[in-house]
This record gives sequence, C-alpha cells and structure tokens, in this order.
Amino acid sequence: MISLRHITKRFHDGEREVAVLRDLDLDVAAGAFTAVVGPSGSGKSTLLYVAGGLDADFDGEAVVAGKDLRTLSARERASFRNGSVGFVFQSFNLLPSLPAVENVMLPGLFVPPGIPAPSIGQLRGRALEALDRVGLADKASRLPGRLSGGERQRVAIARALLSRPAVLLADEPTGNLDAVSGEAVIQLFSGMVRDGVTVLVVTHEERVSSAAGQVLHLEDGRLR
Amino acid sequence: MRLRSLVHLASLNLRSDLRGTAVNTAAACVGAAALVFFVALGMGVGQAARLMFPGDARLVEVVPGAVSLGAALGGGALDDGAVARLRELPGVDGAWRRLALRVPIAASRAPEGVRMNWPTGFTVQVPVVGVDAGLVSSDLAPGGKFDDPPAGEAIPVLASRRLLEVYNKTIAPAWNLRRLPPGLDLMGLQIPVQVGFSIIPLKTEDRVYDARLALAGLSDRVPLYSLAVPVETVRRLHKEYGKADTGYSSVILEARRPDDVPGIAAAVRRMGFAVDEGERAIAERVGLAITVTAGALALLALLMTALAALAIAQSLSASVRARTRDIAILQSLGATAGDVRALVLAEAALVGLAGGVLGVGIAWLAARGVDAAALGLLPDFPFRPTTFFLFPAWIFALGTGVSAAAALLGALAPAALAARVDPARAIS
Repeated sequence: MISLRHITKRFHDGEREVAVLRDLDLDVAAGAFTAVVGPSGSGKSTLLYVAGGLDADFDGEAVVAGKDLRTLSARERASFRNGSVGFVFQSFNLLPSLPAVENVMLPGLFVPPGIPAPSIGQLRGRALEALDRVGLADKASRLPGRLSGGERQRVAIARALLSRPAVLLADEPTGNLDAVSGEAVIQLFSGMVRDGVTVLVVTHEERVSSAAGQVLHLEDGRLR
Repeated sequence: MRLRSLVHLASLNLRSDLRGTAVNTAAACVGAAALVFFVALGMGVGQAARLMFPGDARLVEVVPGAVSLGAALGGGALDDGAVARLRELPGVDGAWRRLALRVPIAASRAPEGVRMNWPTGFTVQVPVVGVDAGLVSSDLAPGGKFDDPPAGEAIPVLASRRLLEVYNKTIAPAWNLRRLPPGLDLMGLQIPVQVGFSIIPLKTEDRVYDARLALAGLSDRVPLYSLAVPVETVRRLHKEYGKADTGYSSVILEARRPDDVPGIAAAVRRMGFAVDEGERAIAERVGLAITVTAGALALLALLMTALAALAIAQSLSASVRARTRDIAILQSLGATAGDVRALVLAEAALVGLAGGVLGVGIAWLAARGVDAAALGLLPDFPFRPTTFFLFPAWIFALGTGVSAAAALLGALAPAALAARVDPARAIS
C-alpha cells in the first residue's frame, strides 16, 4: 500500500544543505498498522508529508495507494490527498472558527471534478455519522476551542475518515493528549485497521508503537 | 471545487471574521453608494434641465444677417428663394419658416372651455408667430389641424409646453389666478381676442375686430412667450393691415443627425445669414455643464471605489497572512492552489456584492432624503422636478457590479498570495 524507495529529502538552511531523509526505503502492506519511532527532529513528520503528497520536493520513488507520487501534477496530488489519504496531526489542525461538524465536512468540499460530489446536506449527514463513530455526535456544533484535546483529536480523526481513505497518516497523534484520551485514539486506529485502512503513525510514544503491528526506527534519515 | 462548496466555505469564513467582513463591506458600500448617488443625481438633474431647456440638438435657427450687403452678395431677407436654398444644404432634412406677426392681438376675456378667474378690465397682449405646420405637426392634438382657417372660424394656435408650467408656477400665484390643468385637458380651449388692438398707446390699428384662437396643441418648438399660428394666417393678416413683406423672421433647419449641425451652421454663415444660437446653445451649455459636473462626481465616486478596493486588498492580504496555516490545512484535505485562489476571490466577491447592495440602498435612501429636504426648502418654481435623481434598473446592477468588480480586483493579489502557500512548510 505504501512503497517508498531511495527517498532523500533535503532542506536548505541558508547556504547549507541538510538531508533529513537519506536514501530511505519503507514498505507498508495494505491494512497494516505501522509505527515509525524516533527522536524529535529525526524527520518523522517529513516522512509523512512525503508519503501523503504534501511535499513533492524529494528524490526517490513513492507509490502510495497505487499512485506514483513523483508523476502526479499538483492538481492530481490534491486529488490524492482528498480521496486516498487522511491526515491526523499532533496539533489537531482544526479550523478554530468552524464548528466540529463543519471541520469534518471540509474534505467533502474539495471533491475534484469528475467525481460525484455530495450536496451540503448530504455532506453534513456524513460528517455527523463520522462524528458519531468517534463518539462526538452530541458535540457537533461546538467550536474546537470548546472541546478538550482528546475530543479535538477525535474530530480530526472523524475528518480524516470522511473520505473513507485507504491510508491514514498520523503525526504524533497522542502527543498532546492525556493517557485516557490517547488510549481512545489508539483504539480508534486499531478499529480502522480492522476495517482495512492502512495506518502509518509516526510517534515517539511507546503506548502508540506498542499497538502497532510493525515498528520502525528512524535515525539519521534512515529506517532501521 | 464546486460553486456551492465555494460559496458555503466562503460564507463560513466571512461569518467567522465578522469585524473584518464588516469593515470590508463598509468600504465597498461607501464606494457603491457614492457612485450610484452621483450617477443618479447627474441623470436626474440632466432630465430636469432638459425639461427647462428642451433644446433639440438637430435644429438650427437661421436669422437674417446683422449686416447685409444685399441679396446679390448673399444674405439679405429670408424670402422663399432663400428658404429653398437653405433646404438644399447638405445634411438638411427640412426647412420651416417662422414669421412674427406685426399686427397686435390682445385678449381681454377669459378663455372659453376652462374655469378661470380672469380679473375685470385685465387685457393681455398676445405675441404671435407664424410657423410652418411641418415644424409642429407632431405636437398637434389628435385630429387637430394647423391651417389658415376660413373667415369667421377660430385660428388654430400652439403654445409652448413650458408656458403652461411658467403660468401655473409663476404667473397664476403672483396674480392670484386659477391654475390651468395640465396637457391635453386644454385642447380645444378657445381664447377670445381682438385683432388690431394694442395695450400700448398709439399702436392700435385703425381696424379692430373680434376673433378666436383655438388651442391645437403644446410644443417645445414654439417660443416660450408666444403663440404659434399657421404662417399663412400671419401673411393674410399682414396683407389685411397693409404690412410690407420684409421676409421671414427666421427659418428653422432640421439636420438629419446632430453631427450635421456644425457643417450646416457654417454653410448658413457662408450664405450671409446668421445662426441664432439662442435656446439651443443654452441647452447645450447647460447639458455640458451637467455632464461635466456629473462626470466629475462619478469619477470621484470611482476613485472612492478604487480606494475601497485598495482597502479590501490590504485587509485580505493581512487576513491571508494570518490564515496561512488554515490554508495549508485545506490543502492537506485536498484543496488545490486554484481552490484556495477561488476561495479568497469568492470571499471578496461576496463582500463586494453585499457592500454593493447596501450601497445602492443607502444611495436610494439618501436620494429620497435629499428630495424630501428640497421639497421642504426650495420654493415652487417652474419645472421644479419632483425628484433630482433617476434610478433606472441598470443603476442597481452598476452599483453592485462595480462594487463586486472592485472587491475582486482588490482580492487578486491576496488570492495569488494564498495560492502560493506551501502546505508542508506552513503546516509543520
């Protein structure tokens, strides 16, 4: 489902060039729950951005959910992010001015041309279903600022699920959560894996990695 | 991104920043209100001026030259030969004679067919000019005739449309006379007159007899303080009273197009005649003054709209910079650069449309306020309009359209800025 080959990603720090990922290889089978662990600054987030089509400026080959990311145009990459992958971030990345249900509806607003798009009413219904799945149907109209950290992360997971993606990419999803909330998130991921979703989590928390079927260590830009 | 999705998300974004939306809407609103107000004012005042000075841009009034060396060198009297030559000038569609009556006519009794409190012993001198029927045929009341009548029958006359307004607004109130009903209600009204009688001592003719004038229509082509009768009637009266034939008072040339007028006027002057700029020139000067003033005000309003666009541009740029992370989040969910650009433009368009609609409404209310104030403060004068503003349907589209276009123009740079956001960099 996820196949990364010889991935190298460099950043420019003034005149200096820094390689964050170095000739990295990664394979994740369909329906697997994989955790990538490593210290802060080791390139875990960069790895997710490359795999999720957010960062197209890299060397190597990346095939995710059957799409060769190197060959996709910017518009095709956007379509890929909309339909094939879902993101969950450590800082939730919800739009603070929109109620939970509107945040969950967002991916449905960007359905690319050529694919039937639901009406706003249908979209709202689907968003409420997704919120129900994460146990937040009663808080659909709340702004993110009026939700706890765990609730915000569950809203973010509901949003990631809206498009029924094949791959879920999570960046430190429990990093800002207490133990109970973190456990709830892990349970949600496990449930998604049972539903056939491929989950790739980057984390430095053992409670997450211990739930994964495959754990990889990222050091010096390479997986071990 | 579908249009409904675009509008949905743009509306949500605008609602989430009510203060910014209100400021931008107010900026767009001020521009639109000023534009609509001044354009409507220009058109309204222009219409009022056209009622006061109904100059026909195609008419040229030819009069005898002030200094004439005789017909052999050109110029001289405006006789039938001159009229024929004038009619042949390039660009001339018609030539109509005017002949001032040199026999005095006076009215001492109230017109028949209308209720009027004519003061006892009051006599008014009636200036009369003879005109060709062709000049005023379109202004005749339905079924009306404009021919020299057989002896004993009423002489058909046309009055200036403006004379009625001047009478009702100035003469009637000043002399405590009853006002006359408007327009066609007066058709067929008969005015008893004495032909040959003058209120000026020693000017009354040897023979004075009673006659009647019958109102056959109202026309803007009749001089303000005259009544127009058929030119043949004037010639007959001149013959009856032994007045020498000195040629026509003037000849009205009708050009095929307004553009032909300067060429015709030049040709007339080359023939040794003069052109009486008179009312046409006044009308043109008034029209030009109004056009220039209204144009300057509209330009000022456009400048205000441009400033509104700049304010919106600045505000949206700041908003886009503040929302960089939000934009990156949208991109992570599938928004393309085009979607992001369209979203910023849609927000601007909604603000512009809302500001435009509000601005048009405010302009309309302000116009009603000015009209109400004018009604209370200005005295009732001839041709005083009931409104100084004209609001045709297209002006509402102009207000909202220009406002939306200005907002869109102001949003182009912020939209481009938003489309350049790098999601991987902004989100991390």
